Amino acid sequence: MVVGSVYERGAHPLDKYLRVTRLPHIWCPGCGLGIALGGILRAIDRRISEGMLKKENVVFVTGIGCSARTSFYANFDAAHTLHGRAIAFATGAKLAKPELDVIVIGGDGDIAGIGGNHLIHAARRNMDLIVIMITNFVYAMTGGQVAPTTPQGIYTTTTPHGNPEFPLNVIKLVSSLNPNYVARASVTHPPLVEQFMYRALGMKGFRFVEILSTCPEVFGRHVGLRDSVTLYNTLRSKVVVKHNPGVEESEPDWEKGLVAGEFLVRDRPGYLEMLRRR
Amino acid sequence: MGLATLASTELVRASNARFRVNVLISRCKECGICISVCPTKVLVRSDKYNKYGFRYPEPANIAKCIGCRLCEFNCPDFAVFVEVIGK
Repeated sequence: MVVGSVYERGAHPLDKYLRVTRLPHIWCPGCGLGIALGGILRAIDRRISEGMLKKENVVFVTGIGCSARTSFYANFDAAHTLHGRAIAFATGAKLAKPELDVIVIGGDGDIAGIGGNHLIHAARRNMDLIVIMITNFVYAMTGGQVAPTTPQGIYTTTTPHGNPEFPLNVIKLVSSLNPNYVARASVTHPPLVEQFMYRALGMKGFRFVEILSTCPEVFGRHVGLRDSVTLYNTLRSKVVVKHNPGVEESEPDWEKGLVAGEFLVRDRPGYLEMLRRR
Repeated sequence: MGLATLASTELVRASNARFRVNVLISRCKECGICISVCPTKVLVRSDKYNKYGFRYPEPANIAKCIGCRLCEFNCPDFAVFVEVIGK
């Protein structure tokens, strides 16, 4: 074993897409956001090496939350916008400059809770965006309040007797509109994140990828899985990967398990194509 | 770019005939995921600390490495990476 230092820039294979001076990042130990960002960057790397994507055309748009910090660490053009309004901002950027490849990253509170309306209408228009929702089941940055995606019976800061509400099934909501691609991955299966993101980058229209993530510090504390490895292994045992699952199977149920896979793949014309036809 | 890059690239590495496992010491936050996902238990938690007070993993049993790269894919802090150095 050798301990030393490397003097050339770019030791890690993803360092060329990271703002290395800002590392180590602010996310807690064991947070799944870093794994998700790594999978996304590897998919972008594959598309850039194939010549399908240009590095200067990739734009990250994020809202508010832990997951919004991804735009601080990925070395692409980025906008850090208002809470929940990332999709609205990204729509504007795409319409103003159609050659951009706009990627929206947000948490479940940002995309499904506060920005839910923007999500619905961007999906309805089949707007040419990639929306990545990183789900950790609570509003983590503000202290672990109940989120629209929190499964029933989960203990959070604001539901000390267990969550009585039915969770919002975002996969089913988006599938009922007009998107081209709806998939769910999990940070416990990082090659799936890369594979779904790789596929989404090659398509047009509205592409929605949900990534289930771990939050040991806030979510795990209340459900008794404070240790990051225990929470990681628990989530991995609950994720069921299926080939072409039906939309009906996508109910977020913490007891019965969470189905991952590609729920919807279509090839409908995107918004910009429809706009040019008029 | 210069100084901070140099500070963040202090690493510990070891190699067998085919693979080299590298750990960037100061990026590690001791979550333990790399140690738990490794199927052949190559990585072992060090008894030394990095400058933020975390005990980073060391590729102690490098002879057993099969190059699956699960540690690299599962590291949330971009600290572990595996290189292929031979056939």
